Amino acid sequence: MLALEPANRIINDLLTEKFIKPSSLDQAFVDFDSVRYHLSTPTKKTQLLLSMDIPCWGELVQYGALEVIQREYGQFVTETEQDYAVSLLIDTETVPEAGEARTALITSFSLLKRNALAAPFERAFARQKELEAKGPPGENEVVEKEQLMGVHYRPEEAIYLLPSPDRVTIIFSTIFKEETDRIFGRVFLQEFVDARRRPSCQTAPQVLYSNREPPLEIRHLQGLADGENVGYVTFVLFPRHFSSAETAFSTITQIQLFRDYLHYHIKCSKAYMHSRMRQRVAQFLKVLNRAKPEPAGEKERKTASGRSFVRS
Amino acid sequence: MSNTLRPYLACVRSTLTAALTLESFPSQVAERHNVAEIEAQSTPEVLLTPLLISRNSSEQVLIEPSINSVRLSIRIKQADDIERILAHKFTRFLMMRAEAFVVLRRVPVKGYDISFLVTNRNVEEMMKHKLVDFVIEFMEAVDKEISEAKLSLNARARIVAESFLSSFA
Amino acid sequence: MADSSFRRLDVDQYDEDRVLPSDLYIPDSRPPATVLSDTQGKATAVRGLLQRGDVRGALGEVLVDAPYGEGVDDAKAIALQSILSILNSTKSTDIPAIVSDLNPQEQVTLMKYLYKAMENLGETSGNVVLGWHEKLVESAGTGCIVRVMTDRKRV
Repeated sequence: MLALEPANRIINDLLTEKFIKPSSLDQAFVDFDSVRYHLSTPTKKTQLLLSMDIPCWGELVQYGALEVIQREYGQFVTETEQDYAVSLLIDTETVPEAGEARTALITSFSLLKRNALAAPFERAFARQKELEAKGPPGENEVVEKEQLMGVHYRPEEAIYLLPSPDRVTIIFSTIFKEETDRIFGRVFLQEFVDARRRPSCQTAPQVLYSNREPPLEIRHLQGLADGENVGYVTFVLFPRHFSSAETAFSTITQIQLFRDYLHYHIKCSKAYMHSRMRQRVAQFLKVLNRAKPEPAGEKERKTASGRSFVRS
Repeated sequence: MSNTLRPYLACVRSTLTAALTLESFPSQVAERHNVAEIEAQSTPEVLLTPLLISRNSSEQVLIEPSINSVRLSIRIKQADDIERILAHKFTRFLMMRAEAFVVLRRVPVKGYDISFLVTNRNVEEMMKHKLVDFVIEFMEAVDKEISEAKLSLNARARIVAESFLSSFA
Repeated sequence: MADSSFRRLDVDQYDEDRVLPSDLYIPDSRPPATVLSDTQGKATAVRGLLQRGDVRGALGEVLVDAPYGEGVDDAKAIALQSILSILNSTKSTDIPAIVSDLNPQEQVTLMKYLYKAMENLGETSGNVVLGWHEKLVESAGTGCIVRVMTDRKRV
């Protein structure tokens, strides 16, 4: 499995099951970046309540998350459950018949986190279009500094978005907790930077990577984590990456998962190294055991008539 | 095997063969004790001249012989951060399994990455030339393992990056 | 509580029969100054012999009465330099003939210097020394290494 799924598998499976056969339920589960879900049937079996909590909800609301949620889930949005950021109420009696429509609905529910996080991206893309339409500023016009959007989606780690007339810059700050992760991470990120030279990635956004040193766009910010284990990854998205609704959708989905994707593969590499080492140790032991002479056990002896005996 | 590695391993092989002439030797310091003299370092007359074999400053083997034990410490080549971390992980992994390896020391001698301690009892139980073979094969395999692991890491990084970026329109 | 620091005292150091590292070999009868001037003289001779291409003669010169023991570090360094210049100026095809021509005592001393050279490699590659070592073991056998390990007259 090379890529991660943007959709939440648990929501997907649970809803598929409950739409067919409603039963009472109370389940709490999680997703990447400390996102918590709660799926329950508080009143009756057919009324499914899906709540999600996301640590940076406050920031997301500022960037228009409520509108996005309203647009995506309109009729389902309900009074928010306590301790959660957003709640949806699904009535299993009114969902469409099994088929494409129902699958699409379930998929859309399982993309809840992705949609909530999409708000700042959509806003940045829209702002870029505005700036582009306005054209270059005149000689005497005072260029207002574009607002930088920061989403602190994990403790100590954040995404920053900066729209400008010809592109949208997205900066990830990430932390490598361990020395090994840091070094592996550097190898991976270097490959991300170099990958654009390959023909299959010609259209990909430009990737820049810096260790420790924050990029120019966010250098003025206060309270940036400092230290050897901090890395900054910059994606430069050009208008072609969000020209149509579909491309914008897939770009947002992809880029949201970048951090999880990177760390997931670092962990995978470590696991692979470990399995290699195990194999190697087994092989070394075999070589070492060759040094031990065969136990000189009593050999079976035969009499002239062919019967075997052991000399006592 | 590359041409420059062969004389290095040959040198380790002959030196180790020479050093593995061990006999039981009861301690002269404590009554009824029989300890590895090279570790105890308490009786200067049974410690022999330590010999250092080096291919270059980053690949060295130190062989410290004594009357009843030999300590062999290896410094593994580490060209960059990745190799350093891989070598560290690998040697740590091995040393945690020192019990199974009998001749492996749990902690390396200072300045080296991994150490072996062969006592007279080990030599009595095992065939000496096979024991030497093991050390030589170990040295070859460690270098190979580290460079292969590094290659596979790079290959994985490349595939991962390419598959992520090529999904953008 | 009574003072227990006496328990940590190494009483063996007051033992009259204790063996010191310096008791384990017979010290050089020459005074350090003579050793130094001897070695310097040999270094000059080696240079001369090497210019004439007489590697065997140069080795014979420097491998006899090599400085050992304490207090002659300068002489040891000069001797090592002489050896290194001989090692580096010999063609690898000539090595087997030269080492098999040495007498056992000279072979052991050469082996001592080979190990010493590897200890003092610094940033250089050990290929030359390793090549010599291989050929010397071929002709002198493992026993030569054992004699290096057991000999306390360290060069």
